[in-house]
Amino acid sequence: MPHVQANGLSFHVQVIRGDDASSPASSAASSAGPRPPVVMLHGLVIDNLSSWFYTLAHPLALTCDVHLYDLRGHGRTDQPPTGYGVDRQVDDLVALLDAWGLDEPVHLFGNSFGAVVALALANRHPERVASLFLVEAHFAVEGWAEHMAGSLALAAFGLDENTSQEWIENNADRKMSRLARRAERFLADTTLIQDLKEEQPIGWLPQISCPVRAMYGSESDILHLAEALETQIPGCELEIVPGTTHSLLTERSELVRERALEWMARQRAVATAGA
Amino acid sequence: MPGQFPTPAMAEAPTATATGAAAPSRDDVRAELERILTDVVGDDLLLDGPLTDETSFDADLQLESIEFVALADQLLATYGEQVDFVGWMAGMQLDEIIGLTVGQVVDFVVSAVEG
Repeated sequence: MPHVQANGLSFHVQVIRGDDASSPASSAASSAGPRPPVVMLHGLVIDNLSSWFYTLAHPLALTCDVHLYDLRGHGRTDQPPTGYGVDRQVDDLVALLDAWGLDEPVHLFGNSFGAVVALALANRHPERVASLFLVEAHFAVEGWAEHMAGSLALAAFGLDENTSQEWIENNADRKMSRLARRAERFLADTTLIQDLKEEQPIGWLPQISCPVRAMYGSESDILHLAEALETQIPGCELEIVPGTTHSLLTERSELVRERALEWMARQRAVATAGA
Repeated sequence: MPGQFPTPAMAEAPTATATGAAAPSRDDVRAELERILTDVVGDDLLLDGPLTDETSFDADLQLESIEFVALADQLLATYGEQVDFVGWMAGMQLDEIIGLTVGQVVDFVVSAVEG
């Protein structure tokens, strides 16, 4: 599998670049202009780049250059014992953008914790971010660090009741039992929980200046963050999807895909008009 | 049905996949897929029996999603120049990708190479 050395670690990456001609919507509109660079960031612990690989990466790759990577500690990327704070993960992303030669602003897609890193890059290096597409975005508000650390600590001791029940029923399931074992080891062997516990609430959302699109499920446990995002980021476009939980990306992948394609078509149109 | 379905007869014709000079047969592609799977997940997975067209990557082989990414990687390395994997994947929804069987991948590669 392709790996890139960045910020002292070996990152598993996938760069997906399709052919405009294979797009069913291929037309003057879709083939006009350059292919915008897209970078996608996944969620915590049991997640990895495959959630994007299975859902949005390929449809978007017909008109964009899509870059996926496994965050440190996840998937097939190195798992160092320390360094899981948001700042360090933004350093990882900057080093990867440099390694990929992406000097122009990129369109970031963030799912769950991936949105934390995406937002933080837009704050620290606004010149490197063209737009943000956020699915069930986490970000640090008052009490967030303790809550995240607490739920991960719970997971480290055998996961919450419903989930462990489900996993026990599937104990002959190779895939789930391996995922569970690996998640347990990740939490036990690294400072991830401690590092997240030290995150401070952010006060800089109003300074985010790029276009932002956010989606949350109406049944999400972090729905309160949707309102905070919409009120604090100027021009943030928010959509609440009825009957959907925090697993919006997989529960409603077809809808999220539609929205993402619309979003990138708009970003391309704006870029073309401004060129 | 002789003459009615020329495609299967073509698939049985001698091939030269190593040089890429001719289209691989279904058996060639399935053998390559088996080699890649063994490489990606180890041969213990295949102890239950040989791969068939009905074998599913998720339900039967219990492939982790990140292992499926590795498998796609290797398929791309082998057939990528002849086959538009991105366009193929882009046309499928999540549940279709999760439900993929060996036979579907073999059919796609064979038909794409034949053009």
